[in-house]
Amino acid sequence: MVFLLQARERILQFYSKYDNFCKPALKFLLALVTLILINGSIGYSRSLTNFAVTLVLALVCSFLPVNVTVVMAAGIVLLHLYALSLESVIIIAALFLVMFLLYFRFTPKDAVLLLLTPMAFKLGIPYVVPISTGLLGTPASVVSAGCGVVVYFMLSYISGSAAQTSGEGVDAELINKFRYLLDDMMFNKQMILYIAAFGVTIICVYFIRRLSKDHSWTIAISAGALLDILVMIVGALYFKLSVSIGGLILGSIVAVGVAFVIKFFVFNVDYSRTERVQFEDDEYYYYVKAIPKNTVKVNDRKVKKINGTVDPAKKSRESRREKNPERRRQGKEDTVKEKKDATEYRMHRALTERDAQASSLERDTAAKARANRERRRNNQ
Amino acid sequence: MASYEKEEGKRNMRIGTYFRGDYIAKEVMKSIVYGTIAYGIMVGMYLAYDFEVLMEEVYSMDLLTFGKVILERYLILIAVYSVITYIVYALRHRAARRKLRIYYNNLRRLSSMYKKEESDAADAESVPKKERTK
Repeated sequence: MVFLLQARERILQFYSKYDNFCKPALKFLLALVTLILINGSIGYSRSLTNFAVTLVLALVCSFLPVNVTVVMAAGIVLLHLYALSLESVIIIAALFLVMFLLYFRFTPKDAVLLLLTPMAFKLGIPYVVPISTGLLGTPASVVSAGCGVVVYFMLSYISGSAAQTSGEGVDAELINKFRYLLDDMMFNKQMILYIAAFGVTIICVYFIRRLSKDHSWTIAISAGALLDILVMIVGALYFKLSVSIGGLILGSIVAVGVAFVIKFFVFNVDYSRTERVQFEDDEYYYYVKAIPKNTVKVNDRKVKKINGTVDPAKKSRESRREKNPERRRQGKEDTVKEKKDATEYRMHRALTERDAQASSLERDTAAKARANRERRRNNQ
Repeated sequence: MASYEKEEGKRNMRIGTYFRGDYIAKEVMKSIVYGTIAYGIMVGMYLAYDFEVLMEEVYSMDLLTFGKVILERYLILIAVYSVITYIVYALRHRAARRKLRIYYNNLRRLSSMYKKEESDAADAESVPKKERTK
C-alpha cells in the first residue's frame, strides 16, 4: 500500500511539475483516440481517414481547449456523413446544434462527455461512464451523458444502415429516407434504456458519495454498479430487448475497477484517523468531521556533485562577497575558521565516535586539537 | 488561494464585475437568442419529417391556427428556458460573489500578515543600530 501511495505521490508530483506538457499531451491523446474511432466507425470520407490528417488535427487540438476538440469532432463526423448522405448530415447537424445551443452553454465543462461516452461504448466499457460521472460530476451531468448516448446510437445506426441511407436520390426519396432515419433513431428502445440506466446510476452514485458516512465512495461505487445492472435487466425485460448478462456483469466489474482507480487518485482518505471537531465564529456554530488524506513522504533524490563544477549559487555568493570589502574580510575569516574547525571536527569524531578505529597518533592529535579549542574558547 | 485565482477565481472575478441584474439579463437575452435558433431548427426538422403530410394538407388546413400553435410552443419554450436560465445564473452569481468575498477576506489577512512581518523585520534591524549609537 505504501508503495502504491508513493507511486501516486510521484505521479501527482510529476503532473504538477510538468503541467505545461502533461495537459497538451493528454488533450492530444484524447483527440487522437476520438478521431481514430470516428474514422474507424464512419470513415466515409477518404481524405479525412488519412493518418497524417488525423495526426495534424490531434496536434492542433492539443493546444486548444477541450471544447474545441468536441466541436472539431462534431465537424469531422458531419464531413464523413456528407460523403454518405445529405439527410444524415441534416439530422446529426440539427442534433449537435440543439445540444450545443440549449444545453452545453450551461455546463461547458461537461461537453467532454459527448466524446467520452461514445468512446466508452466503442471500447466496450460503457458502464464506466455513469459510475465515473457520478464520482466526478454533478447531477446535471446526467443530461451530458444522455447526449453522449444519443450521439453514439445515432452514429452507430447510421453506420449500420449505410447501405440504405447512401446514394443519390430524387427529392421524394430523400424525404422518405429522412423520415425513416428519424423514426428508427428517435424511438430506439435500447438507447432509451441506456439513457435511463445511466441517469439513475449517476444520480445514485453522486448522492451516496456526497454523504458524510465513512467509506461513502466505496458504497457509492458498489451501489451504482448494482443499480446499473438491475435497471438494465429490468429495462431489457420491460422493452423485450436482448442484453448479454455476462457482458453486463463483466462490463460492470471493469467499471468498478476504473472507479476504484479514480477513487485512489481523487479521494484517498484514512478513516481510522477521523476527527470530530466543534467550533464557532461570529455567525455560525460548526460541527465538523475531518478525515485526513492518505499521504506519504516521497524521498527526494539529492544529487551530490563530486567533480570540480562550480555551484552557481555559491559562485554568486562569492562574487557578492568579493564586491563588498567588509564581507570579503569576514569571508576570509570564515574560511580559515572552517578549515581549522574541519580538522578539529574530524579529530573529535575520531575520538568520540570511532575511538576504537582511531590510531594512537590520531588520538594524540585530536586531544591536542581539543585542548587548543578549549583554550581558544577560554580566551574568548 | 493561488489555485483559486488560476481556475475558478478567474471566472468568478469576471462574474463579479457585473451587477446581479445586468448579469442575469445578459444571460437571459443570450438564452432567448439561442432558444430561438434551436426552436427554428426543431421546427425545420418537424416540417422535413412531416413534409409529405403537410404538402397534402396545405390547402385544406387552417394556416393561421397552425401558425398560432407554432408561436405558442415557441413562447412556452422561451419562457421555460428563460426561467431555467434565470435560476441557474442567479445561483451562479450568488455563489461567485460569496466565494469572491471569502477570497478578498483571505487576501486582506495575507496582506496584513506581510505588513506585520515587514514591520517586525524593520524593528529587528533598528535595535542593533540604537545599541551601537548608545
